[in-house]
Amino acid sequence: MAKYVARRIIESVPVVVGVSILVFMLLHLIPGDPATTILGERATTQSIAELRARLGLDRPLYEQYFIWVGKMLQGDLGNTVRGNIPVADEIATRFPATVELSLAALLLSTAVGVPLGVISAIKRNSLIDTLTMFGALFGVSIPVFVLGLLLIFLFGVELGWLPFVGRLSSDISIQRRTGLHLVDALLSGNMKGFKDALEHLVLPTITLATVSLAITARITRSAMLEVLNQDYIRTARAKGLKARNIVMSHAFRNALLPIVTIIGLSLGRLLSGAVLTETIFSWPGVGKWLFDSIIARDYPIVQSMTLIIALVFIVVNLAVDMLYAVIDPRIRY
Amino acid sequence: MRKWFVLVIVLALLVPLAPASVTAQGNTFTFGEFGNAVALDPAIVTDGISFRVTVQGCEPLLQFADETTIPRPGLAESWTASDDGLVWTFKLREGIMFHDGTPFNADAVVYNFERWRFTDHPTHFPEVVFEYYSSMWNGFDDDSIITNVEATSEYEVTFTLSEPNGGMLNTLAMPMFAISSPAAIEAAGAAYGTPSVGYSCTGPYKFVEWISDDHITLTRNEDYWDEISGNVDTIIYRVIPNAAARFAALQAGEIDAFEQPNVEDLPAIESGDNTYVLMRPPLNVFYLAFSYRIKELRDPLVREAISLAINRQEIVDAFYPPGAVVATTMIPPSLWGYNPDVPAVPYDPDLAMELLAEAGYPDGFSEVTLLGVDENNNVTDEEVGTIPFTLYFMPVQRPYNPDGLGIGEAMASYLAAIGLDVTLDQVGDWSAYLAARSNGELTGLYQLGWTGDNGDPDNFLGYFYLNQPVPQEGYYQNEEVSQLLRQARSMTEQSEREPVYQQVDQIMHDEVARLYIAHSGVPLAFSNRVSGYIPNPLATEHFKYVSVG
Repeated sequence: MAKYVARRIIESVPVVVGVSILVFMLLHLIPGDPATTILGERATTQSIAELRARLGLDRPLYEQYFIWVGKMLQGDLGNTVRGNIPVADEIATRFPATVELSLAALLLSTAVGVPLGVISAIKRNSLIDTLTMFGALFGVSIPVFVLGLLLIFLFGVELGWLPFVGRLSSDISIQRRTGLHLVDALLSGNMKGFKDALEHLVLPTITLATVSLAITARITRSAMLEVLNQDYIRTARAKGLKARNIVMSHAFRNALLPIVTIIGLSLGRLLSGAVLTETIFSWPGVGKWLFDSIIARDYPIVQSMTLIIALVFIVVNLAVDMLYAVIDPRIRY
Repeated sequence: MRKWFVLVIVLALLVPLAPASVTAQGNTFTFGEFGNAVALDPAIVTDGISFRVTVQGCEPLLQFADETTIPRPGLAESWTASDDGLVWTFKLREGIMFHDGTPFNADAVVYNFERWRFTDHPTHFPEVVFEYYSSMWNGFDDDSIITNVEATSEYEVTFTLSEPNGGMLNTLAMPMFAISSPAAIEAAGAAYGTPSVGYSCTGPYKFVEWISDDHITLTRNEDYWDEISGNVDTIIYRVIPNAAARFAALQAGEIDAFEQPNVEDLPAIESGDNTYVLMRPPLNVFYLAFSYRIKELRDPLVREAISLAINRQEIVDAFYPPGAVVATTMIPPSLWGYNPDVPAVPYDPDLAMELLAEAGYPDGFSEVTLLGVDENNNVTDEEVGTIPFTLYFMPVQRPYNPDGLGIGEAMASYLAAIGLDVTLDQVGDWSAYLAARSNGELTGLYQLGWTGDNGDPDNFLGYFYLNQPVPQEGYYQNEEVSQLLRQARSMTEQSEREPVYQQVDQIMHDEVARLYIAHSGVPLAFSNRVSGYIPNPLATEHFKYVSVG
């Protein structure tokens, strides 16, 4: 196992290097650069050239790449082009926001999606199944911004039950330890902060979880259906085992592989940032930041974040592969 | 499993026991911003969001009086200029302290100006871009038209210029020339103005906290030298990128005010029981420019035909918020130098078709001829090729252009009605669009606009048309315009300068040099608990006038 993990880690090095080169090249190939966005309407050929020189963008591309890599290897992610703010500081502030929202959404989509899928499979073609699958279709189909705004107007404005701007109310503060507000509030015993953070998390979590939940439910249902039609299930039934035991011990466990795969992919996708959900709920995470940075051609941010996202996917995929071995003892690495 | 269940139940029971949120101390004014600030060192800021924060705490030598564009005393209480306009002496107010407790004096002013100007100054960090200094004072180091700034006494500063500058006082009142505490800059180094440090200046509100993309908090400066007529103790800027969510936050009482509501939400905000709208006076212009590399567009008859074919009033009515007006000149009506005698161009497609026929295009055209350019940016007679007749539309919303594509489509349909078949193109995103514009690659008709920086007409006309021909202005060339603008820039009396700018706008109207479309105000939405907010044409309102409750 350790050997396998080591091999996977070594294998990921060319992936990371490849991603870094690809992103670097793509960023510099598209027209426009930070100088044009900083200058805006006042951009002239001369002012752009001067600013490019000041920002070091007039150097050969390979030189810029190696300067960046050199700094990166020393743990320096550089500073933002606009505002000269250390990228590492910004990531440290924003990434926990994305992690908290992603984990909450993953928890919700798994905790609801998997049981729904299992029930649908068991009660195939029943009313519950039809309703669940209709709901899943609806969840996949409804645009995120429509759902988000509907939730805001219903629960935020009309009923006034839940906040919908950012992670905390203006008058609440939580002592920072991990950057995850719920965890930090619990660690410092700040129940008022915990409640406020939890309330702020509800609507964006529902919005973000909807698509994953629908996909998880559908995948779980089809995986379960496939297993439930196997001979050994029929044998188990013939032996007179309890239905609950058959479903949980025999069917569900064997249906887990595709479910874990899809959950792992969801987590990677969620962690790389949810631009629309973050925009609608003013969530200070990495998704919208990365999007804005691409528009502004803020190279250090885009380069660092894409690398981090690549790493997230590598780690999540590795974790999923490890889980396979736990779920199915026949899989050995 | 059971243990987990119990834990969840206990937590669920505990949470409602926690007391509801406490209210902040004193009067809090929460403003909904559409994006994150970029930096809070006023000298390096170029975006409106950051300026709306820094103006609460950082003051230049002069201020704009009561949210107008008229300069009045600020940190400098009086000034004199030599007859030739080259030497300016400013008497500073005494007894003012920076937020960090160090004194404000002539040395501090000299420090700031030298820091901005000299690229080898220890705190003119190479990675920080002092863009406005360069663009307003003609460059850094020896290029700067400010050639010397000297502390002639503890509270007197003398500026020496290499050439007279008509807009000097307006430029000195711009928020990017606010004076920061030298001690704070030295202490923070390149981190000055970043979220971990903020600013340290002399103004009515001190920096407290900046959580990126979430909020910025400022608190009242109890030692402020001037009156704070409003009652706000704490200012919070909350970042809410989505306009519909900002409106919802206003309705839910999460914020007290915000800018840039959706135009379609304005009636609801105006008719709301607890909300109202104010408009920033327009200090901008939206235009459609010609590339003079297109042979057909060099013919004044064709330009006039295009001008007559576009129904500006219909565009303003359909796309702009209330308060927007049809533009007749580059300079907006709110600014001195505006020429009220320049008539509005009528919408007359029939006359447009006659002019096109007279110009030799009775059936219009869909392709145009691209001409060459020499090394001095002069357009030559050489025909480089035939290209589709293109209308480039802006890929982003700006205060002067609420819908580049929508307006572009409307313009295309007006032109189609007189037989001109244009291809619509947005080039790419904003950065790509700006790059193409600065390289003169928008070869056809192209949308762009301008928002005034300092309330001086030179900032509108001189900035665009003094240096000619240049690629970013479509290779426009008229020596008389260039001469007049140079002359106006060298004068120091407003009464002398004003007729010159009026003359330039008249000349450009007569030759149909460019199509001015609209001047747009920017709407601001408020909760009824807010009073005293004075919208400012430069979009940098001072919250010291605001009261809540």
